[in-house]
Amino acid sequence: MDESQRGETIRMRRAISAIIGRELKRMVRQRGRLLAAMIRPLVWLFIIGSGFQALVEGSGQGHYKQFMVPGLLCMVLLFGAMIAALSLVYDKESGVMRMLVIAPFAHYWIVLARTLSAAIAALFQALLLMVVLSSLRLLGLDYFGLPAHLPLSALGLVLTSLTCATTGMLIAVHSKTLDNFAVIMNFVIFPMFFLSGALYPLEHLPAALKALALVNPFSYGVDLMKHAVLKDVPANFSADLSVGTDIAVMMAYITIGLIISCLRFSQVSVREKMAKALSGSRRV
Amino acid sequence: MNTAAPKAPAIQTRNLRKCYGGQVAVAGLDLEIAEGEFFGLLGRNGSGKTTTLHMLSTLIRPSNGTAIVAGRDILARPVAVRARIGLVFQESALDRSLSVEENLQFAGAMYDLPPDLVRQRMDELLKLFDLGPKRRVLVAALSGGMRRALDIARGVLHRPRVLFLDEPTIGLDVINRRAIWRFLARLRQEQGVTVVLTTHYLEEAVDCDRVVFMSHGEIIGSGKPAELTQSLATSILEITADEPEPIIAHLQPLLGDFIQDGNHLQFRVRDGMTALADWQRQLPAPVRALALRQPDLNDVYVWMNRSAGRPSA
Repeated sequence: MDESQRGETIRMRRAISAIIGRELKRMVRQRGRLLAAMIRPLVWLFIIGSGFQALVEGSGQGHYKQFMVPGLLCMVLLFGAMIAALSLVYDKESGVMRMLVIAPFAHYWIVLARTLSAAIAALFQALLLMVVLSSLRLLGLDYFGLPAHLPLSALGLVLTSLTCATTGMLIAVHSKTLDNFAVIMNFVIFPMFFLSGALYPLEHLPAALKALALVNPFSYGVDLMKHAVLKDVPANFSADLSVGTDIAVMMAYITIGLIISCLRFSQVSVREKMAKALSGSRRV
Repeated sequence: MNTAAPKAPAIQTRNLRKCYGGQVAVAGLDLEIAEGEFFGLLGRNGSGKTTTLHMLSTLIRPSNGTAIVAGRDILARPVAVRARIGLVFQESALDRSLSVEENLQFAGAMYDLPPDLVRQRMDELLKLFDLGPKRRVLVAALSGGMRRALDIARGVLHRPRVLFLDEPTIGLDVINRRAIWRFLARLRQEQGVTVVLTTHYLEEAVDCDRVVFMSHGEIIGSGKPAELTQSLATSILEITADEPEPIIAHLQPLLGDFIQDGNHLQFRVRDGMTALADWQRQLPAPVRALALRQPDLNDVYVWMNRSAGRPSA
């Protein structure tokens, strides 16, 4: 250990804050992206939600829209964190990556800081959605009040956003280009959302789909948020797993996912390819 | 800094080597660059300059050998090396979606500089590059020259001891180039920064204290630019002729080795034979063009490649 290694974590404070600050600035500046992030869950709530609510009311059950709220909060986290984390792929050939690779810290910090900033950007969007949903009460649309358990809600949001950001980072460190962004959207983001219990309880799913939902880390975030947010809902709309399971699975997933991402990003072959791309030698 | 202590070199490489697959990009480099030196790493594209720069700045690991940069080993302590160097890439290391000011603030935070210090240095640098009025403008809206200037400001914000510049003036007009050269001269004078430059515009390297020529990953020559050109020749005699053979037959015994490219010939002329008219008179065959000019670093490079038995490209 010498002065350059000792206390690297402490010296990273400014760099990490700057990386998070940049992510938030970009999010606020890309108003379209932010607006879309707010409108997407509302479309689900009012269009899909209304349709399904009519369906379940026919069988004597109400509350479908209330049931959707934790899933929709998680949806915002999923889209927000995945898109922010995936932008690392685009950044691999950009100016900001040049600034990051030449900065005086180990390269795995880039992965960690970008995961954290993606998660924070997503959290910001989820909080914004909560404000939007709460203000809907003024219009008499009462889907979201004070969550049943505030600390658990906070933990659920944080763990879910980190789970989603980690997933985005795992994809980002393994892919060369984002030409396949639509592919990722269709084959990763949407299936994660549909197979998560966000739209329906897991317990009635066929065994195969239920198994898929259980390997989907996002399911545990949705489940935890159901524990935290839902109150006064019928038993068949409540969470499927235990709080302990949800927390343990997500923490394990985040830890393992980040270790894999950091190792991959520090690999010699990956770094050499990136150095070549960053040097712009292809251009000549 | 203790000036009484013997000066360690800013950069010292030992058998620094890089292979990609079976291909040798840099073949065992032994270099020593003194502190405060303005050093040029010259060569055509693909000669191994950028790969060398990337090894010295710890972006890639050498296949063999190592180097000490600013007192730290690039293999053992890459992070410490990065803290002491600045690197200006061929392409911009700026975030286009942030403003001029935000870019420098971001860069400063990467080096853990306190915001006050960043603001103070930023003010100086922006003033120096006439970027003051643009501080709130997004980088995407800057001209190429301004962007490059800002990129260099970014590279020196943390006061590196060694500054690496990879083709810093590529794509810039003369005015911007001059501004950048003036800034580098000042930086060396005021802060004693060691500047290592790669360029394939060889004429730009005349101000370097020392240059090294690379070709196919090897050093094929080095020296002070003025000495190199002087020792090459007093002048270069260029001849274009439809029938070069009789001219070669006549001049080779007088001038020695020559370079032929189709019907274009180049001879090195030593002292005392520098009157164009004399040459014109004694040529045995008609020529299309005849010129006698000062040698430059391009000539040095071409002749070095020739004596290394390589094509000049």
